[in-house]
Amino acid sequence: MLARPGLLSTTRLALRVLAGLTIVYGIGVALFLAASLIAPAWLELALSGHEGITSLTTGMRLMALIGLADAPLGYIFLTRLLAMVDSVRGGDPFIPENARRLMVIARTMLGIQLLNLAEGAISAAFSTPGNQLDAGWEPSIDGWLAVLLLFVLARVFHHGTQMRADLAGTV
Amino acid sequence: MAVLVKLDDLLHARRMTLSELADKVDITLANLSILKTGKAKAIRFSTLDAICTALECQPGDLLGHEPSIPQEDEE
Repeated sequence: MLARPGLLSTTRLALRVLAGLTIVYGIGVALFLAASLIAPAWLELALSGHEGITSLTTGMRLMALIGLADAPLGYIFLTRLLAMVDSVRGGDPFIPENARRLMVIARTMLGIQLLNLAEGAISAAFSTPGNQLDAGWEPSIDGWLAVLLLFVLARVFHHGTQMRADLAGTV
Repeated sequence: MAVLVKLDDLLHARRMTLSELADKVDITLANLSILKTGKAKAIRFSTLDAICTALECQPGDLLGHEPSIPQEDEE
């Protein structure tokens, strides 16, 4: 027995909701970015309390661009994971397709971590003494460990599915 | 694959059917069929031993190598 059906159903539902939320998040960030370009005065007023192009505004726009790149990565991550959960529900998860999905998940996680670093760099470069763009930002060691773990697991899964395929063709 | 399985020829020479061989060697008909049609990726020594015993032949009689046949993509 691979996993309890109830747990899988809950996981599946959670992943579907989260995948939907990444779409909403992406649309929200895109609207925010568009608004900041169409009506910059509004953003500047909201950020610094007075109008006028500031480094904070530029930094916020760059942050929005990162958010815009984050959303599809998050969506890909979640939908591939959802497909893997579905294959577990189907009773045959040890297939080459899942090894490829796990590799895609590892790559998207790497992308998310790189974007996180860029976020930190933008925060450091564009924050002003009075206004911090992302005051709570710090490098995510856990995230980088997760990237390493995912790449290793993807390779292990790839070898495992190859061995299984070989065994299936052995008489 | 460049490795040829000549099970069909051996069975024909001995006037034996695949089902009869399956009964003798205790290997499923489905697996023997995979072997006969060249779809098998590997063969166990125990399978080779059982078939050679049943057909009174050598492994070389069962398997051949034809380099002109292109290698199939493993992926």
